[in-house]
Amino acid sequence: MYFDYQNTGVGVPDRFADAHQRAWTRLASPGMWWTSTEKIDIAAETRNAENVRDEYRNSLSPSIADPPQKVSSTLDESILEAIYRITTDPARLSRDWFNTLIERGVKDTHYVELVSVITTVLSIDDFHRGIGIDLEDLPTPIKGDPLRRRPTSARDEGSWVNTVPPAQLDPVDDDIYGGRDSAPNVIRALSLVPPEVRALEDMHEAQYLTYAEMGEFVNLDRSLSRAQIEFVAAKVSVANECFY
Amino acid sequence: MLRASSKLNQSGIDIKAVVDGNVDSMIPAGPSLASFAEALVSRSSNLERLRSNLVDEVGEQGMIEAAGTAANFQRMVRIADAIGIPLDDRSLSAADALIEELDIKTFHSASNTYRFD
Repeated sequence: MYFDYQNTGVGVPDRFADAHQRAWTRLASPGMWWTSTEKIDIAAETRNAENVRDEYRNSLSPSIADPPQKVSSTLDESILEAIYRITTDPARLSRDWFNTLIERGVKDTHYVELVSVITTVLSIDDFHRGIGIDLEDLPTPIKGDPLRRRPTSARDEGSWVNTVPPAQLDPVDDDIYGGRDSAPNVIRALSLVPPEVRALEDMHEAQYLTYAEMGEFVNLDRSLSRAQIEFVAAKVSVANECFY
Repeated sequence: MLRASSKLNQSGIDIKAVVDGNVDSMIPAGPSLASFAEALVSRSSNLERLRSNLVDEVGEQGMIEAAGTAANFQRMVRIADAIGIPLDDRSLSAADALIEELDIKTFHSASNTYRFD
C-alpha cells in the first residue's frame, strides 16, 4: 500500500494519503501521450535531478551544467535535459529554450504532460521531505496505450504552449475548470492535456486549499491561518524566483 | 492572496517580509514558517532542526499544513515557469505597485511573465 502515513509516526490527515494514492495510480497508468513505463522513467529522472541540483542552479548558464548519470532507458536527451532543468532551476527557463526543445522534435502535448509528471513527483516528494519521512517507492507501470487526444479548441493565449479557454472546452473536458467560466493562467497551463488539469486540482485541494476555501480569508478551518498559509506559499515562490 | 488575507483580517502584515528576511512580517510564527519553507526549497541540512522549531510554535498539524503548502507551490512555480504563462488580466491592475514594492523585476522569470515598459 502506497502512502501509508499512519505508520510514519506523523499525524498526516487522510486527505494527503488519498490524493497521493490517486496521483500514484495516475502515474502508473498510460497517459495521454506517454506510456506508463515512460512516465515512471520521468519520475525516476526527476528524483535523479536532485543529484545535480546545486550544479545546475549555480552554473553561469544552465546549458553548460553537466547532467547526472541517467537512471532510465526510454527517454531521449532533450527530454532528460527538460526534466533536469525544470526540476532544479525553473526560474531560468526561457521561451528560447522551449523553442529549441520543439525544434529538436519534442511535441507540445508531450511537453505539457512531462511538466505535469515532473511536478507531481517533485511535489509529493517535497511533502515527504518537509514532514521528515522517506520518499515513497515509485509505482509499477500498468500496461496500456496512451489515449493521444488533443483538445480541438486549444489556442495561443500567451503561454509557450496552446491552452484551452473555459468557454471553448470540448464536451468530454467540460469539467476541468470545475464548471467555472474563468480560470487563472496557472490552471489553464496544462489544459493542452485536459486530464492533467483535473490531476492538478486534485493535489492542489489536498495540499493547499479547495476552491471553496480559497475564497475564505478569515474563518478557515485549518491548523494555520490563511495569512500563515499564504506566507509559506509566497516564500516558496520567492525562493524559486518565480515572478508569476 | 497574502495581501488580501492581511486586509480582510486587519492584521497589518508587512508584505516586504516576503522578499526581505530582515523585515518583520507581523504574522504569528512568521520567521519559523519562512525558515522552514526556505530550507525545504534549498535542501538545507538545517531542515530537521527548523521543522522541530516550527512544530514547537504551530504544532505538528501546523507543520504538516506548511509542508503541504510548500510542496504544492514547489509544483505551481514550476508549472508557471515551464509553461511560460503570462500574468492574468485581473492581476495586471494590481501588479505594477506590488512589483515596485517587492522589487522583483530582477527575477529571471519576469521576462517570461510580464512585459515591462
